[in-house]
Amino acid sequence: MSESHRVLTAHWHDPSVIPLAGYEAAGGYRALRASLGMSADELIQVVKDSGLRGRGGAGFPTGMKWSFVPRDSGKPTFVTVNFDESEPGTCNNRELVEREPHALIEGSAIAARAIDCHLAFIYVRGEYLWQGQVLQRALDEAYAAGYLGRGIMGGDYDLDIVLHRGAGAYICGEETALLSSLEGFRGQPRLRPPFPAVEGLYESPTVINNVETLMNVPHIVNNGADWFKSIGTEKAPGTKVFTISGKVERPGNYELPMGTPMRTLLEDHAGGVLGGRALKAWTPGGSSTPFLTADHLDVGLDFESVMEAGSLLGTGAIMVLDETDCMVEAARRLVEFYAHESCGKCTPCREGTWWAARVLGRIESGHGHEDDLPVMADMGEHILFRAFCALADGAVSPIQSTLKHFMDEYEAHIREGRCPVTGRGPGRERGADHPAEDDRAVPDVTFAGAGPFEIQGVPS
Amino acid sequence: MSRPEQLVNLTIDGKQVAVPAGTLLIRAAEQVGVEIPRFCDHPFLEPVGACRQCYVEIEGQRKLFTSCTTTATEGMVVKTQNTSDVAHEAQVANLEFLLLNHPLDCPICDRGGECPLQDQALAFGPGESRYREAKRVYPKPITLSPLVNLDRERCVLCARCTRFCDEISGDRFIEMFARGAAQQVRISAGEDFRSPFSGNTVQICPVGALTSTPYRFVARPFDLSTVDTVCPHCSAGCNMKLDMRAGEVVRQLARDNYDVNDAWLCDKGRSAFRFPDAPDRIATPLIRERGLEPASFGEVLTRVAEWTDGARVAILTGGRLMDEDYYALSKLARTVFRTNDLDHRRAGDTGAAAAERHAAAKPMSLTYDDVETAAAIVVVGLDAEQEVPILHLRLRKAARRGARIWVLHPRRTRLHDVATHVLCAPGDEARLLAGGADDTLDEALAAVREAGAGAVVLAGERPGAADAAKRAADATGARFQYVTRRANDRGALLAGVHPSLLPGGRELDDVDDVEAAWGPLMNREPGRDTMGILRACADREVDVVFLIGVDPLRDVPDAGLVRRALDNVPVKIVQSLELGSLEPFADAFLPASAFLEKDGHVSTWEGRGQRLRAIRGRDGISLADWEIFASMALACGGDLGFETLDQLHDEMGRLMAAREDGRSEPGAGTFPAEVEPGDALALFTYPLLVDEGRLSEGADELKAALGQEPFVELHPSDAAAAGIVDGGRATVRTDAGAADLPARVTEHIAAGAAFVPFNQPGLAANTLFSGRMVTRARITPAESDAAPEGAEAVGAATGGGA
Amino acid sequence: MAIFEGQRLDEARAIMARYPDGRQRSAVMPLLYLAQSVEGSVTRDALREIAELIGVRTAEIEAVATFYTMLRPRPTGTHLIAVCTNLSCALLGGNDLLEAAHEATGIPAGGEISDDGEFSVHEEECLGVCELAPVIQVNVANHDRVTPERVREIVGSLRSGDVPEPARGPAVESFKAASRILAGLEPLAEEGAPA
Repeated sequence: MSESHRVLTAHWHDPSVIPLAGYEAAGGYRALRASLGMSADELIQVVKDSGLRGRGGAGFPTGMKWSFVPRDSGKPTFVTVNFDESEPGTCNNRELVEREPHALIEGSAIAARAIDCHLAFIYVRGEYLWQGQVLQRALDEAYAAGYLGRGIMGGDYDLDIVLHRGAGAYICGEETALLSSLEGFRGQPRLRPPFPAVEGLYESPTVINNVETLMNVPHIVNNGADWFKSIGTEKAPGTKVFTISGKVERPGNYELPMGTPMRTLLEDHAGGVLGGRALKAWTPGGSSTPFLTADHLDVGLDFESVMEAGSLLGTGAIMVLDETDCMVEAARRLVEFYAHESCGKCTPCREGTWWAARVLGRIESGHGHEDDLPVMADMGEHILFRAFCALADGAVSPIQSTLKHFMDEYEAHIREGRCPVTGRGPGRERGADHPAEDDRAVPDVTFAGAGPFEIQGVPS
Repeated sequence: MSRPEQLVNLTIDGKQVAVPAGTLLIRAAEQVGVEIPRFCDHPFLEPVGACRQCYVEIEGQRKLFTSCTTTATEGMVVKTQNTSDVAHEAQVANLEFLLLNHPLDCPICDRGGECPLQDQALAFGPGESRYREAKRVYPKPITLSPLVNLDRERCVLCARCTRFCDEISGDRFIEMFARGAAQQVRISAGEDFRSPFSGNTVQICPVGALTSTPYRFVARPFDLSTVDTVCPHCSAGCNMKLDMRAGEVVRQLARDNYDVNDAWLCDKGRSAFRFPDAPDRIATPLIRERGLEPASFGEVLTRVAEWTDGARVAILTGGRLMDEDYYALSKLARTVFRTNDLDHRRAGDTGAAAAERHAAAKPMSLTYDDVETAAAIVVVGLDAEQEVPILHLRLRKAARRGARIWVLHPRRTRLHDVATHVLCAPGDEARLLAGGADDTLDEALAAVREAGAGAVVLAGERPGAADAAKRAADATGARFQYVTRRANDRGALLAGVHPSLLPGGRELDDVDDVEAAWGPLMNREPGRDTMGILRACADREVDVVFLIGVDPLRDVPDAGLVRRALDNVPVKIVQSLELGSLEPFADAFLPASAFLEKDGHVSTWEGRGQRLRAIRGRDGISLADWEIFASMALACGGDLGFETLDQLHDEMGRLMAAREDGRSEPGAGTFPAEVEPGDALALFTYPLLVDEGRLSEGADELKAALGQEPFVELHPSDAAAAGIVDGGRATVRTDAGAADLPARVTEHIAAGAAFVPFNQPGLAANTLFSGRMVTRARITPAESDAAPEGAEAVGAATGGGA
Repeated sequence: MAIFEGQRLDEARAIMARYPDGRQRSAVMPLLYLAQSVEGSVTRDALREIAELIGVRTAEIEAVATFYTMLRPRPTGTHLIAVCTNLSCALLGGNDLLEAAHEATGIPAGGEISDDGEFSVHEEECLGVCELAPVIQVNVANHDRVTPERVREIVGSLRSGDVPEPARGPAVESFKAASRILAGLEPLAEEGAPA
């Protein structure tokens, strides 16, 4: 198998690139030096020409995003690196930074250069304690070597990069919520327009990019737009570091050209389904993307192909479930995640995820009711695209896709009062109209990490 | 309100409408009579698009749009719930979501019957909920303050309340805590919702989550009769809706008036409505000779005529009568009693002569809207949040629009987060405003000069401030207005209830128009002002003094003098709602009607006349003040010439209209400084918003929420020199008296100055002052309780020190 | 100030200086972590002091503090054991790890802190280590491919004062120490030594 697609992961076997000296020896910071000799327009053009699209889920063309930043606003510009990586199933950013932290610094610095930014922030999720330390150490090395600070590399361009840590909120991966959090407010998304490129951090023009997106930039500067376009598909050039986890033999992060079929990733790289079992369901891009089934194994993993198949590429985080897994439980746990992470600002997400989690919990535990299924379907319709941001849309994915592909499992739960796959549940008398009459028998849903909904707040 | 430059044409539910560019669809719909349901949207708050209730369909767009965040564009075709099934279904679904966790509290919820959630659920929502799970419950209610309660289960998380506190009042006591379904409005434990604007959050809450404590469980909307009126508490002139149940006022709400108070009221306006029914209200005339027993008007007025016949008469009044009352009083004084010894002002000369004349001659020359749209604003000698709260909110609004604001005041005000403060010793305003004395102020003056007519200078009642500010305004071309504090100080001034001004700000020798209406004016000598009248009373140079709607024992900054005056002047006639502290002194009492019982006008600080309407019948046989004056004139052998309000209006309107030729150049001299630097402290005072004033009688919840104990506030350098610590006690000694008070040491007051609030429970500060709202004081650490009788203060005196 | 004095105050100022002039509100989160590193949780004093440092109301700080799960408003054990039960970890036994953690620490389900104050257990959302599931964190340090048996071992180790080496990176001595790192500060020279 050719290794030519190993761009971002080329040095993953070589821990010597983690400290600065090793990174430099492997060719690091060449691209930054080159970019200092280019104009901002040239830089933006080469990234535009490369066709690089955001790797954080939305797939927005990166060069175009940079070009939206006005040069004449009179306000400082900012680059904010989104290292909040919290989409269930997604770990590629983490490993990319663990294994080559300087590559992120270099990519961020080039992005800063492209929009004449002199202060950039890296927003790293709180749970990545060690990865933040790795990054801080690399930043310190970069400052010491003159790759950051006043007059970098002996020129007249100043750049500071500040590490800012999150504190456990998935919503802060949403661009405007991230900015809100970084400004010291609650991490709730903000209205657009104005768009961050015009009015973002501190009411100033801001570019927010994903870690993986930025780590592609030095390679594009070094090797050119055409080289980048020669990998992957026409509409989605380059590689993608896919995470594959769950019921597979060799879970891990694998860099492959965009458009690689799922079957290749699953069987050739991840060793197939764990224990040789039958594949039941998989997400192409994390929990926010609709489940696909064994029928979709030949779908190419790129933005367009996955959308055609009825799902979304998202973060390229593939979670695999097999025949021994209950889809109702999976849906319930994922919807609980969204309910827990909902910021609370808007009605459909806040109330809809609360409701859906409870109904799913009731169905899963064998206390479902016939009406629950049409209600769930209807609920999904009225949450999808009706909320303030896409978190709610993510919550709808597990609901709608499991209803679509696994309706029989739901019906069995309701009919039998127990899970047809795991056997768990109280069971019920055949022909009974209602679930257990005793409401106290219905277990309340407790969200991961949260107790009851009454927050006690800080004691006086 | 805004100045539309460009109109945009769009179609809503098939109806064509043209709106100013930038108009939100939800507002545009209202213009064609379409009400789109909403919770988080409010015309005065920035759109947030949080509740998702206001969805509309826009032709050519795949997704639905929230009409509260979408601006109208040319040619847009919008379909609301009336013509779009998709939009309708989305709204139904959204209401179902909102009602999932909403408790069935309607039977016990104050909002029931006037609840936007009820109304919108009925009009736009599902008939039944499909939710069969347990609802979210919280302990309830939690008390945010003595005025505001919170029932979290009812909250629909529209965040109107927290956004009001963030955007409008700046008092960010309440916030959203937690996230997701646990998100809730909360206050930090141990704190109170201590904002004078907290009641607005109750009014704009679209459900019964925030409720007013004084109104909890009191009435249902269908029990109430509502009348539109104007708030009687300060010169802001906020428009109100008064709710009455069985003849008793149970609630006061803000009434929208985009020219005056937007949609807001301060908490005093909301809660201090019990004074007209105070237990000591008197509704019949009384006469001392009969042991203060009820008498008839005829009897009392006959005596008044006897007392005043050929006598030296003086008249003191306050700031709470109507324009019509003041006009009648001004005419009564001049034409019947032939005196110019009349005054409405609290103290004597405050260095505002030119400012007064300008205000009297040019009502409405500066309005709220002018303040809001100004580019540069200088506020001198005014603590707007405490004195004219809704003006404070308008100033904050100006700041949000980008106005640069400076405040020149002896102590910092609550505009400090949006305005640059220059703290100056009382009386020092003129020197600083002359330029070259303070860099910040010079910057302000330069900005004002540059803004020209886009600059505004506002002056308050701190001694020495107003004319100094007017001089600066005249020199820079800025627009100016004098902001007096009490509800109708402006009306009194306009009517000429003033020793040297006739109606309309005319000098005493500018009589042509006045004599045309009043007949010949015999007395053209300037009369005595308030302090002059009191001194003359004390010296027995006045025979009869009228005390009309005023309690000088509390209101005038020289309690000692007032006492002597009342002791020595032979005849005291009180005309008010009650006798109060004047009971030992009054020789006669004439019962006046309260503002609820009168028709007429009051004037805002702008000089804007606003209509008051009678909400209920007169208490007892009380009469409107102007009616009493008319009867009194007749009893005294004169005739004011009007029997009806309309007749009075006709005459009044001619004389109190704005005039071009009013003389209002400030004199060249500077206001006398009370205190030389280094020689004792300049103790100054003014009433705080919530105090022991008569109109706050019975407003217990308001006082519990926002009242303060008396204190003395001073600068760290002065405190250190005197050995006073923050939180300790200090003795304040002036020529007039002494008081032992808790000390607050803060850098937010000018060095060399000290502040005591005018009228807090336990300290009538007018016992410390000698005729002006500023005096010299020596402040020392309080003597310890254990010190022997007569011992001098232990510890550092001024000048000594730790 | 009780928390932010002496060296802590210097550190707070340094944190605030990371952000542009006039934007010190951005320092709220690291300041909350710093306070948490001193007190073990976010206390009322911390909220008040941070509000004063930044120049806002206490409620504004509390609003932020209560939004995030890693800022803990109630007393937390010396060691925080966080167990992921999101999908990939659940598929590979994450729920069993959670049960084992509760059992080994003696904290009942729904409880927050062990009686002796040594432990807290927290059910977590995706920790971003899905390819090495099921995972836990001890004081925000990663342990990968964990079994219930390993959970019991780890708790046992912690009880005897030994913080086990995580899968990657150095061991983190306590939840307080983790908070300090999250504030962006170097660990203290000696745990518990005065500044």
